Amino acid sequence: MPQAEPAEPVLDEAVLAELLATTGDDPAFLRELVETYLAEAPAQVEAIAVAVARADAAALVRPAHTLKSSSATMGALRLSAVARRLEMAGRSGALDHDAAVDAETVRAECQSASDALTAWLAREASA
Amino acid sequence: MSEIGKALVVDDSSVNRLVLVRRLETLGLEVIQAENGMEALALLGAHPGAVDVVLLDVLMPELDGYQTLAAMKADETTRHIPVLVTSSVEEQDSVVRCIELGATDYLTKPINPSILAARINASLAAKRLHDLEVESFERQTALNRTIERQKEELSRFLSPQIAALVSSADGEQLLAGHRREITVAFCDLRGFTSFAEQADPEEMFGVLAEYHRMMGAAITEHGGTLEHFAGDGVMIFFNDPIRQEDHVERAVRMAIGMRERFAELSSAWHRRGYQLGFGVGIAVGYATLGRIGFEGRHDYGAIGNVTILASRLSSQAQDGQILVSPRAQTMLEELIESESVGELTLKGLTRPVMASNVVALR
Repeated sequence: MPQAEPAEPVLDEAVLAELLATTGDDPAFLRELVETYLAEAPAQVEAIAVAVARADAAALVRPAHTLKSSSATMGALRLSAVARRLEMAGRSGALDHDAAVDAETVRAECQSASDALTAWLAREASA
Repeated sequence: MSEIGKALVVDDSSVNRLVLVRRLETLGLEVIQAENGMEALALLGAHPGAVDVVLLDVLMPELDGYQTLAAMKADETTRHIPVLVTSSVEEQDSVVRCIELGATDYLTKPINPSILAARINASLAAKRLHDLEVESFERQTALNRTIERQKEELSRFLSPQIAALVSSADGEQLLAGHRREITVAFCDLRGFTSFAEQADPEEMFGVLAEYHRMMGAAITEHGGTLEHFAGDGVMIFFNDPIRQEDHVERAVRMAIGMRERFAELSSAWHRRGYQLGFGVGIAVGYATLGRIGFEGRHDYGAIGNVTILASRLSSQAQDGQILVSPRAQTMLEELIESESVGELTLKGLTRPVMASNVVALR
């Protein structure tokens, strides 16, 4: 059943550490990046919800794809996995009950990922 | 930090764009970015020749990766720019399609920094190679233009035949020296020395210029090779470097033409008080032809008895006479009416020569 993937962590901090290391070890840049992500992700979640509600498979692909991709970059692996499933559903052209469930899940996962990233930022700032 | 190249990042996700831009900057590139294909093409158009590599997302609003790639490849100014397609593992089919559309390579998201560095370096190397080729082509074109211009300049100083010879494939061999039968025509003015003594230099140069202009036109008309102008003396030969079956005939036709035109010139000069006459000597024979002179100043010249004979006949010619050697006379028998002027003792030649004056064409 397409529930949240227990195998994937909400936030893989190793991904963030690597990101920091490969972008010039600049905490300010990483902060900007996290903030950009936090600002952008909810809009994609909304676009996903609208597409699923209208059963518009084609309109689902792009926001799901972008959310999958940017979430993976940020280490939000569980959210990325759900978004990936939605992208696949959109590409298959048929939105079934699972897609509707995932559209709800993606909203919750986005919240979890955002909370985790915000907490991480706070910890980094005080470190 | 001096940039190693300029990259254009095209991605609709701000997060992906930020990360990619940052990584490329860390690698030493200058980066510009676009949110979709439309913006990317606009940037490429606005900075022609400035972008060395494009990192292109596939799934984008407005204009997607495929359309952007197709537009880039259709445009002469952007088709050579390496394009790295950035895509997720789910998009392997898209990668194939992008490569078919002309993408250089692809990067799987999330992008591995080491692979990014390797692909960027390979793309920049390819772009540099391309730029070098373009530069080398442009240099070659400029060089060719210079050579053409030099040939044109050269042809003003040399006979056109010799200018062409210098730049022809077998030119070197012909210039090195060869033996050939030629017809030599030697022309000079009667009374020029005393005229030169009396006239103002300007007047003298004016007369010479008119004379040379008339001679030049006749030489060109009959395809003669001008060996040299020496004051009033002019030496022309035929059948070299361009082969001319009818070299004797050409020489005599040219001489007759010159004599007619000279008559017009001389009557004008006569009204200005100058008495100048015109004489021609024509001889046929073998000569050695090629580059004569010394490093820094070479002429294309003919050496042989034939040139001496023509020159001596010319100095024996009275005003209006075209004296031809016995061999030339034999070859021209059917073409011209001539009168014998008897045996002439010529300076430098041991035996007297039977010479004939060309009266007219038959």
